[in-house]
Amino acid sequence: MTIDTAVILAAGEGTRLRPLTTHRPKPMLPAGNIPILEHVLNSLVEAGISEIHLVVGYQRVRVQNHFGSTYRNRPITYHIQHTQLGSGHALLQANETIETDFLVLNGDQIVTEEMIETVSSSHTATDTATLGVVESEKASQYGAVELNDNRITEFIEQPTDDEYRLLNAGVYVFGPSIFAALERTFQEQGRLSLPETIRDLTTDESAVRGVVTESPWQDATYPWDLLSVMQTLFDQNRIGDETTEQSPGVFSDQTATIHEDATLRPPVIVSADTVVGPQAVLGPGVAVGENTTIGAGAVLTNVLVDSDTRVGQNATLIDTVLGQGVHLGPGVIIAGGPADIRIDTKVHEDCDLGGVIADRATVGGGVTVASGSLVGSAATIQSNAHIDGNIPNEAEVLR
Amino acid sequence: MCGIIGCVNPDGGTREVLMNGLANLDYRGYDSAGIAVADGGIEVAKREGEIDRLQKQVTARSDTLDGPAGIGHTRWSTHGPPTDANAHPHTDETGDVAVVHNGIIENYQSIRDELEADGVEFVSETDTEVVPHLISKFRDDGADPQTAFRRAVERITGSYALAVVFEDHDAIFATRDGSPLVIGVDEDAAFLASDVPAFLEYTRDVIYLEDGQFATLRPSGVEVTESDGTSVDPSVTTVEWSADQTAKSGYNHFMAKEIHEQPASLRQCLRGRVNELSGSVSVEELSDIDSPESVQLVACGTSYHAALYVARLFRAHGVPAQAHLASEYVTAPAPFDSDSLLIGITQSGETADTLSALREAQRRGASTLAVTNVVGSTAARECDHVVYIRAGPEIGVAATKTFSSQLATGNLLVEKLCASGTKRTSESTRELIPALRDLPNQLQSVIDNSTAKSVVEEYLDYDAYFFIGRGLHRPVALEGALKFKEITYEHAEGFAAGELKHGPLALVTQRTPIFAVVTGDGERAQKTISNIKEVQARDAPVVAVTDGQSEVRRYANHTLEIPQTHPRIAPVLANTQLQLVAYHMADRMNRSIDKPRNLAKSVTVE
Repeated sequence: MTIDTAVILAAGEGTRLRPLTTHRPKPMLPAGNIPILEHVLNSLVEAGISEIHLVVGYQRVRVQNHFGSTYRNRPITYHIQHTQLGSGHALLQANETIETDFLVLNGDQIVTEEMIETVSSSHTATDTATLGVVESEKASQYGAVELNDNRITEFIEQPTDDEYRLLNAGVYVFGPSIFAALERTFQEQGRLSLPETIRDLTTDESAVRGVVTESPWQDATYPWDLLSVMQTLFDQNRIGDETTEQSPGVFSDQTATIHEDATLRPPVIVSADTVVGPQAVLGPGVAVGENTTIGAGAVLTNVLVDSDTRVGQNATLIDTVLGQGVHLGPGVIIAGGPADIRIDTKVHEDCDLGGVIADRATVGGGVTVASGSLVGSAATIQSNAHIDGNIPNEAEVLR
Repeated sequence: MCGIIGCVNPDGGTREVLMNGLANLDYRGYDSAGIAVADGGIEVAKREGEIDRLQKQVTARSDTLDGPAGIGHTRWSTHGPPTDANAHPHTDETGDVAVVHNGIIENYQSIRDELEADGVEFVSETDTEVVPHLISKFRDDGADPQTAFRRAVERITGSYALAVVFEDHDAIFATRDGSPLVIGVDEDAAFLASDVPAFLEYTRDVIYLEDGQFATLRPSGVEVTESDGTSVDPSVTTVEWSADQTAKSGYNHFMAKEIHEQPASLRQCLRGRVNELSGSVSVEELSDIDSPESVQLVACGTSYHAALYVARLFRAHGVPAQAHLASEYVTAPAPFDSDSLLIGITQSGETADTLSALREAQRRGASTLAVTNVVGSTAARECDHVVYIRAGPEIGVAATKTFSSQLATGNLLVEKLCASGTKRTSESTRELIPALRDLPNQLQSVIDNSTAKSVVEEYLDYDAYFFIGRGLHRPVALEGALKFKEITYEHAEGFAAGELKHGPLALVTQRTPIFAVVTGDGERAQKTISNIKEVQARDAPVVAVTDGQSEVRRYANHTLEIPQTHPRIAPVLANTQLQLVAYHMADRMNRSIDKPRNLAKSVTVE
């Protein structure tokens, strides 16, 4: 059936991406030079959606400021989830404004318009719900499903074993009856999860359809995933457009100022108002956000630089994520992965990450950063210090 | 002050256009509203109070209130209190002609006396009502609608934008002199309004009517003529603003939205104007302006505070500069010579007091520059030069993002106009440019980390609120107090920090919190800290806005932090904290934040 309304869930923080989510929710983190959520909305618009509902919560003003009240001429209605009590609770915030069958997407996972179209067109009036499904070895990290002749027979959130190969892509079409189903769902400690409701629907033999697509599906779980998301988007030509393409794979906005002696190696994108100094070398695999300054002689390879950031002269950055408003002094060296990284209590081995410097951190000149270090938001690192490991938000590191 | 909307639309839907237009215009006035639609006869609905009261009345009525031509009005009272009778549109005795009006008709009393002597009965206390009666009189003499309208306009003096519908014509007749009026054109419809956002959702192609011109809007098209009747080929321009910029997008108030929008609006203001590679400032609009020997600035309200700031920047660059309140300037204009530049700062470009000061200066041969937010506004068209602050549409009556963009633009102006080539200037420019480029993100960090919301909780129910600052922070103190009084209705005053002891200190008690702006740790900061100690000695609580460089925290009950930056940029960040203080206090007190009592956004009467 043709679907023209979509609800996008963009209220959660994405705690595993800390410290990058200190001031904004995961959907607003960069996938290339634009937020993840903007890719999601682009896919929805391309798929013909005319009415957009955004459920916002954690640091919601960042979402509201970025998108305003329309996106590409489609009206946006905001629904506020004041406390983050799960994806089902988030969806309930849009109750009473929707009376037709509608799409639901996660605001923090990049899906293609083909997947949205396939799921929408497979959905029929007799289906309670239709789920997009992709084959992925990551199924056990997310939600896994079992299919029997287009019917979802089993729905398991984060299964303990890894025998599953089909993953719930987080692209759903629901009839309006979903709201009643949500309200019937058991709430664990006040939390209401959408997958839990879907599981209930599959067990009580409601018509839950599953549609397997081969469309690419991307999710950044950890900070270093932002680099692979960027590379994949470059590979799929989903970053930049003809209007900003200066030569194959080299994109730069017309308001950017790039010194004639700087070198841009594809794939690379430079956004509005950005300044690139002489002898700087950007790329391959570099996305630079707006109003950023790259100093003379800086060399960046496989780096994501978010907006308003300054990279000092002769800095060398490899496999690095820089947040918004970061100040890197001259000669900072982040030499690249692989590295073992600790997130909470878990250690992730062999990650391709030089370092993550979160929003508004200040890193003095000559600082060296050991592979896999995470520097917190608004942290200050004194000149010539050596960083190794995780630096908390607002911490000050003396030499 | 007062908003007009009109629509000619043969396919119907006029009522909806009018009601939407009024909703989009209500920042111009909101004490009463009404619409009139011509469809064989004229149907009028009008109501004292905000627009939703009119909406209820319109919805409840049995007649359609729809037709090919209609006009609407939202009122900010000048003549007669807000009542149903005084609400526009006004009609003649037969109800065959309806009029909406923005401005003041200065000779209305004599016309009214004359008409009443002829037996005409007036139903309102407004100046406007003379217009439909005059038109009716000329119609009775046999004039066609166009002629009757022109003859009526010939009789009146003052400032006005007028729109008229007749019961038997699918047309709107309009003119302006001294009050804004803009026409929107679409394939098979035409619109008119006091301001573009009123019809932005229908068309972005507009014609700016000049003073003295007449326009006739018909389904077949728009005809513009001069006052002598000669036909004009109007130029149609496309506005860049989009309708979605004028919606609240999830915020409770436009003011909150506009405070939060400042990082983006500053980016827009600075785009393409600061070049960090070459260390220079370029402003396209100012490529052919000479460096002035001296500068005078005229402005009102918040724009005046921006003018005080900009005047200081000029003086710091060795250019004599003085800021004047526009309404006072005309009473005794400061002397100037041929190399002087008169700068008018006005958000809307329609502020009557500022326009009249600019015109007075032009009359005396001065070169004029408008600093405004609205492309095609009267100030932009009348001045010799114009620079746009590019803040995007501002709907909240209390100006926020336009103030920060005015300050940023002031820095660009000074760098551009005072490029004397001296070593000292170029050094200060080199330091300023990175600070300007860092400003959007630093302002975002102020918003992200501000504790203003919790701080105001400590200061509910005090007697009065004082704001002090020195140097470039004095305009911030004045603006902080203005914002506070505008939307909380509490008594607030801003003072130069050093002036406290010369009088206002007598007002200071333990029931008068002092908001003090102190950045850096230089001599000025130390002197302001001494002033803080003076008020502390009188038991007044102190809230310091500070970048943490001085020891002011020791003497303050609460602090509101801003990041360290160039001394010229610090006022923009400090002001953001005070915007948040005013907003959260007013929100806590359940005030009508976007539409404070008695105020209107662009004040188009003197």
